[in-house]
Amino acid sequence: MELNSPLDGEHLRLRIAVVLMFVALLFLAGALWRVQVVQGSEHAERLDKQSIRRVRLPGLRGVIRDRHGELLADNRPGYCMALYVEELRQAGRWDRTIEEIERVINELSGVMGVRPDVSRDDVRTHIRRRLPLPFLAWRDLPPEALARWAESGVSFPGVDIHIEPLREYPRGTLAAHVLGYVGRARLEHDEDDPYHFYMPDMQGKFGVERSFDARLAGVAGGRLIRVDASGFKYNEVAEREPQMGEDIRLTLDARLQELAETLLVGQRGAVVMVDARNGDVLVMASSPTFNPTSIRSRTALQALNQDPDKPLFNRAISGQYPPGSTFKPLVAIAALENGGITADTHYPCPGYFALGGVRFRCWRRSGHGSIGMRKSIEQSCNTYFCQLGLKCGYDRIYHMADAFGFGHRTGVALNFEARGLLPNDSWKRATLKDGWRSGDTCNVSIGQGAILATPLQMALFAAAIGNSGQVYTPRIVTDPWEEGNLAQKMAWSASTMDTVRGGMFDVIEAETGTGRRARIAGVSMGGKTGTAEYGPREARKKHAWMIAFAPFEATRYGVAIILEDADSGGRDAAPRIAKLMACAFNSTPVFPDPAAEAAPPAVAAGTVTL
Amino acid sequence: MREFLRQFGMLRYMNWSMCLATLILLVLGILFVYSSCYISEDLPVRTLYKRQIMWAVAGIVSYVLFAATDYRSLRRWSWSIYAGCLLLLVAVLLVGTVREGAQRWLTILNFDIQPSEPAKLALVIILARRLGLPGMYYGEWRRLGGVLLLFLIPVLLILKQPDLGTAMVFAPITFIMMYAAGVPLRALGLLAAIALVAVGCLLGAVFLPEKLGASPETQARLTAMTGLSDYQRNRILVFVRANEDPLGAGWNKLQSEIAVGSGGLWGKGFRNGTQNILGFLPRTVAPNDFIYSVIAEETGFVGSMGVFTLFGMVFWGGMRAAMSARDKLGRLLCVGIVSLLFCHVFINIAMTVGLMPITGLPLPLLSYGGSFMMVVMSALGLMQSVHIRARRAIY
Repeated sequence: MELNSPLDGEHLRLRIAVVLMFVALLFLAGALWRVQVVQGSEHAERLDKQSIRRVRLPGLRGVIRDRHGELLADNRPGYCMALYVEELRQAGRWDRTIEEIERVINELSGVMGVRPDVSRDDVRTHIRRRLPLPFLAWRDLPPEALARWAESGVSFPGVDIHIEPLREYPRGTLAAHVLGYVGRARLEHDEDDPYHFYMPDMQGKFGVERSFDARLAGVAGGRLIRVDASGFKYNEVAEREPQMGEDIRLTLDARLQELAETLLVGQRGAVVMVDARNGDVLVMASSPTFNPTSIRSRTALQALNQDPDKPLFNRAISGQYPPGSTFKPLVAIAALENGGITADTHYPCPGYFALGGVRFRCWRRSGHGSIGMRKSIEQSCNTYFCQLGLKCGYDRIYHMADAFGFGHRTGVALNFEARGLLPNDSWKRATLKDGWRSGDTCNVSIGQGAILATPLQMALFAAAIGNSGQVYTPRIVTDPWEEGNLAQKMAWSASTMDTVRGGMFDVIEAETGTGRRARIAGVSMGGKTGTAEYGPREARKKHAWMIAFAPFEATRYGVAIILEDADSGGRDAAPRIAKLMACAFNSTPVFPDPAAEAAPPAVAAGTVTL
Repeated sequence: MREFLRQFGMLRYMNWSMCLATLILLVLGILFVYSSCYISEDLPVRTLYKRQIMWAVAGIVSYVLFAATDYRSLRRWSWSIYAGCLLLLVAVLLVGTVREGAQRWLTILNFDIQPSEPAKLALVIILARRLGLPGMYYGEWRRLGGVLLLFLIPVLLILKQPDLGTAMVFAPITFIMMYAAGVPLRALGLLAAIALVAVGCLLGAVFLPEKLGASPETQARLTAMTGLSDYQRNRILVFVRANEDPLGAGWNKLQSEIAVGSGGLWGKGFRNGTQNILGFLPRTVAPNDFIYSVIAEETGFVGSMGVFTLFGMVFWGGMRAAMSARDKLGRLLCVGIVSLLFCHVFINIAMTVGLMPITGLPLPLLSYGGSFMMVVMSALGLMQSVHIRARRAIY
């Protein structure tokens, strides 16, 4: 060894470094001693038994109310028997844990006197998909079962009562299609993400529950609890507060909605009523309906899905129907606005209109004689509108209808809204491999043929005629800051509106009007009836329509009603409009209920188009 | 060929106690990676220990090769190694894989490597070379500036990824090496003061505004000025406010402490760590950053101290090699490597008992991870190389 190495002088620093490192390690050793031995011995006896349980505190879902604050969707507590899988975990394969869970479930079942309603596969699925969550062996337990469990005195480690909020709809089937329903949220399996433990259990699957899920859903919180071997809680470690979801107020008026639903009882159909001044949807009823509270299980949902009457189908926005004669006001507007036609243009009606070899029949076999615009709306004369459509040309009708929004979604905040169908040449070539013919123009001019509209579109159309051309995006949830969302301002001239509105006034208010059964005391209205044929001609299947707006001046409401497989708009739909409007205006229908009336005169029958 | 064999033959002079401690730590690492993963349902995770065995074998090969190579050849290679590592660090920013919001991995031939790991060793090598130049006096600021530049370039590149924990470990390594190289205490004191003020400002910007009741906007602006991401800020906050949000961001810290604490004096036994088995200690971190929690839970205080002793033997062997090194390069290499290992051991263990914020630094030889395993084994091999060629009679 060379003792005089020039490096020796710096060894002092190395030695100091070594000492410092040693001190640092000693410090760490001290810390470990404190954590492992001093603090560890605090629970020396319970060491191998102690366990921390993560308890979910569910975040409540916001409630849903109608526009006047009436509760339509609420929560109530459901008592569940929760098994904390981590406390029942057996070493080795998961199968052993599953067996243990089954054993505990069977024992609990004996104590509570309730049959187990979960299978081995359920346990397996739970472990695979939602391991961090407690396994709920029973949900919504009756109080007797809970009492038996509490009094049994048997100790069940890893088992506890868990309170789960259940969605309830206190008004039963009221507004079911708008409210929708909730189902279990899907969880992705990611055992290392502590946050997914706090995702909501419930998720909106349909209606407002679905489209406003993000606002309604709360954020679950949690609590860490130390439990000993017998399941006794002795220490709360930490808590994260659950957050409640936002409450939502619908634009619906529960009183009108309820009446509208009674009008549809025993009948397939839909009623929509909108506020003509801002697009608020006051009524959206679809029949048959369902009870969203009852949709708790997969089987209940399946039964509803398999019902041939399709109760889950919201006919008001998803149903597409030929509009029949209720489409005629639009044809009239298109012709008056730029079709070279005036209110005085008269066409002869001999009871039919012959186009080539085809006769388009008017509902009145004897014909209306020479007839003008206003009278033909009142009388719903098919012959007149066929000739009007041909004179005006289909392009103008198409562009007017397209600009209004036929064939487009209205943009209401609900899923599964249908577009309807506004046919034209390119559509016909694409689907039927045939060009547009005059016959097609005649058909669409009387609301038949390929054209389809949803009841919501027709209600907006009624409202737009009532307020001379303002088309609002329909609103289903109130928001206090907005005056309504104007989607379109139709450039309809005053003279056009005078004529068309005048015709629609006569439909209800004239003695010979096709829709006079809709008349109510004290408030004048405008409207249009329709009876749309569908399916093969021989089957003679018809939908009854009516659209209406009221009051005639300073319109507030636009309404559309459709009754599937009914006789005529004037006889079946108009009296229902009268009841609904009477309710809205605190008035009474002028005509007594048709059911009470003796056989109505044949003239009173509504339009039979085509 | 003959020369190569001669070098190999010199392996018999290596520090066998240090070698033994290293091997024991490697075996422990494999056992506890197995223990932390055997319960997993995922086959790739359950067999993670097999990959660890593969890495350990590759590490041993690297260890032997480095020990057999004369460390003095680094005089020629140090700059190339340093430049190569910088290139990799730039490459990872350009084409690296992004995981959990950080761009840290390069995929080469199906292997994911983390260039910041070899960069640690490259820094040690280049600093040993620079600071070890014969006759170099580091009392001048200009010279010192050059050294600081060598340190700053990789640190800034790693901060860009971002990987705060890895970047932070570069500072003490550089500091200790400068100290060992004989940089005047005045200069070191000044540097330490600057670093303390910088850290103070950073923490002040994170915590003071809230304490002083500043508006949330001001707080957000100040936080943005520090350049910390939300999750980095959260980790610091979790550390300072011990029990903030224990179900979310503080979960790992709390669970790690419970795991270590419940180990007691003797531990729960191999493969019996309930915290780990029940998955309280998240399985993605248990075999890597939190392997020490698993060891501490299953072997108790006694086992923890055993691991300490083994690391102590490695450090002591390294420092002895430093003292007996025949030149300054060798001495600084050993000091640098020991400080590299020491910083990782200290920070990682301090983190598992809650004395440090969670930084994601692995535990040498024990944590699962290929890049770091190779780096540590190569570094230990280098240390043996210095030891073998130390000032003693060699014939």
